[in-house]
Amino acid sequence: MTPVRRWLPWIAVAVVVAAALGVGVVGERGPSSLQDRADALAAEVRCPTCRSESALESAAASARALRAEIARRLEAGEGDGEIRAYLVSRYGQEILLTPEATGLSSLVWILPVAGLVGALVGLGFVFRRWRATGDGVATDEDRELVAAARRGEPDHTGAAGAEVES
Amino acid sequence: MTRPEVRAEPRRRRFAPWVALTVLVGLLAFVAVLATRDPGSGVSADSPLLGEPAPLIEGSTVDGQPFSLADETGRWVIVNFFATWCVPCRQEHPELVAFTNRQAAEGGDAEVVSVVFDDQPDEVRAFFAEEGGDWPAVTDPDGRIALEYGVAGIPESYLVDPNGFVVSKIVGGITSDGLEQLLARARAGDQGGA
Repeated sequence: MTPVRRWLPWIAVAVVVAAALGVGVVGERGPSSLQDRADALAAEVRCPTCRSESALESAAASARALRAEIARRLEAGEGDGEIRAYLVSRYGQEILLTPEATGLSSLVWILPVAGLVGALVGLGFVFRRWRATGDGVATDEDRELVAAARRGEPDHTGAAGAEVES
Repeated sequence: MTRPEVRAEPRRRRFAPWVALTVLVGLLAFVAVLATRDPGSGVSADSPLLGEPAPLIEGSTVDGQPFSLADETGRWVIVNFFATWCVPCRQEHPELVAFTNRQAAEGGDAEVVSVVFDDQPDEVRAFFAEEGGDWPAVTDPDGRIALEYGVAGIPESYLVDPNGFVVSKIVGGITSDGLEQLLARARAGDQGGA
């Protein structure tokens, strides 16, 4: 097998992973209208008084107030990041359903990637070891064993294949 | 002659029962703490507002009187978020009445301001008429005051110092004695539960 053909599957995997990551990073085009942006932001934060729902889904009074505040601030020209920072300044980081990629919260993003990389490296080592030990090439000792078995000589290694006396 | 292969027997350590026992003891301790805690005692909680200027409270009371927290500068203020449909709020109300009565009798420098959380002014007026209490109850029809304070449940209270800074957040019901102790600690520069 030529080196190029041997590496072809790996190249294909790398291309697919890169494409998937690219799509994930770029994503769809962001919400355009103020209402779309308000809904997108409300979907990112918790309902303050119910915790199990986003502020977008909840009918609680606190969630209604939060949605109204987001809309008011968007109309005033504030950016998404500013609005998120305002909410964190009132409720703390726990108001965000999606952890921020800064400080201690960044571990939520880093650890899975580190784990995946570690697992892939480990698999690579295992595959290399398998390839090193499992090449299937018979040694002179192997050939001598086979020849001895054909001649009907007793197996002196104690392994399976010894003649059984009846 | 080859030596027979000797395989080391893997030592099976029985970790699972010990792990399960540890988890069980921890759970039992947690349940015991929750079960024996006084439901009327507030717990000091962390808040991004601690040490920050208290968000403005400007509006009208359920009696139609104008109110501004800025007018209370120079006094300790307990900002109490409550609703008449909230059972722990109803339970803590007599304690707030006792606290304000004691402050009035002793010429204290602390007062209570209630903020109505998702409730009707008529209900609040009737509640105060029935249960007592003559401190301001500020309406918050659009929930913005609660949002500014980061209220995540009621009853929830914030102690604001005479300079207008938030020094403590109390989650749950509060008691008159607890408030007095909280004030004493706050005056000494400490923070704690009520």
